[in-house]
Amino acid sequence: MLRNDPWRWGAVAKFFHWTIALLILGNGVFGLLMDLARTPMQKVDWMALHKSIGLTVLALLVLRLLWRAFNRPPHELPAPPWQLWAARVVHVVLYLLVAALPLSGWWFNSVRGYPLQFFKLFNLPAIAAKNPDLRHLSHHVHEYLFWILLLVLAAHVGAALKHHVFDDDDVLRRMWPFARLRHGPKGESA
Amino acid sequence: MTRPALGRLAPLLFCLLLPVAATATDYRVLQDQSTLAFTATFQGAPFQGNFAQWQAAIRFDPAHLAGSRFDVTVDTTSASTGDTDRDGALPGADFFNATRYPEAHYVATEFVRAGAQVIAHGQLTLRGVAHPLDLTVTFARQPGGTALMDVTGTLKRLDYGVGGGEYADTSVIGNAVTVNAHLALAPK
Repeated sequence: MLRNDPWRWGAVAKFFHWTIALLILGNGVFGLLMDLARTPMQKVDWMALHKSIGLTVLALLVLRLLWRAFNRPPHELPAPPWQLWAARVVHVVLYLLVAALPLSGWWFNSVRGYPLQFFKLFNLPAIAAKNPDLRHLSHHVHEYLFWILLLVLAAHVGAALKHHVFDDDDVLRRMWPFARLRHGPKGESA
Repeated sequence: MTRPALGRLAPLLFCLLLPVAATATDYRVLQDQSTLAFTATFQGAPFQGNFAQWQAAIRFDPAHLAGSRFDVTVDTTSASTGDTDRDGALPGADFFNATRYPEAHYVATEFVRAGAQVIAHGQLTLRGVAHPLDLTVTFARQPGGTALMDVTGTLKRLDYGVGGGEYADTSVIGNAVTVNAHLALAPK
């Protein structure tokens, strides 16, 4: 089932969720390991790949938000109000961080005066003027946003596991690819 | 020597004397009003660079191309492109190898008219490699005997081994480099 229904996320929403998760985590670790490049040209190539993956995340996020805007999420499962609110806040913050990471990289790239090429296919414009005074600040912002993402992600993953293991509900199952719900209506998996 | 023989030789003698009789003007370059620049591409985006140190001996007259001559020497350590990483790499062994080849040299003695412009068929020696390089010359006389000359041409950096090895990947660093010179000239 491509679309969401009241009990579970559809295949498209799952695809966006897990693809973005894998890309942004992999690309973040990749970014932190840039200094392992053995030659300047290898670093140039790695950076180009890192930027292209980041732009892919940004594009997927735009598509994901459009999909979400026209496709109502499943009902929230019963939980104490503070947990419902915490979940909503964490989800909004995660969306913001998924946008802020590639955008801060784009900003860093722009103030550094580097070109921005998407998988050697086409170039994208700078979003800020070249400014050597901002190169360290923008670099730090880009890197620390990833550490913040990992912190918020720990809350997100921890809560999902808490629901799955201790509450034995469908919070994780309804986002897990091809999983069957235990408490919702029986039927095909998505 | 009989008169008919001299009559046959006269045009030949005239041709031999022509370059001497109609010498092109020798100019000196007004360095503070002149630039030697280049445009290359990195990751699909063009970037500009220029050389701070160069000398050019220019003898030129569009009406007397046969006597014209360019002789340009460029200090390969003097390139700047507005990026410290790039400027640090350019004189290195992988690019200009300036320690071993501190100068690039361009000589042109053959000039051909092309409409309002002139094509200089010359040879550039860069990084120890000599390779033909055609430059398009636009020449404009100014009041008082001075002149402005704009020269442009495109070379392939790999013809000269500039950026070899892992830097030879032209999908990252484009092979074509456009050279642009603007010369303010005063007669010697």
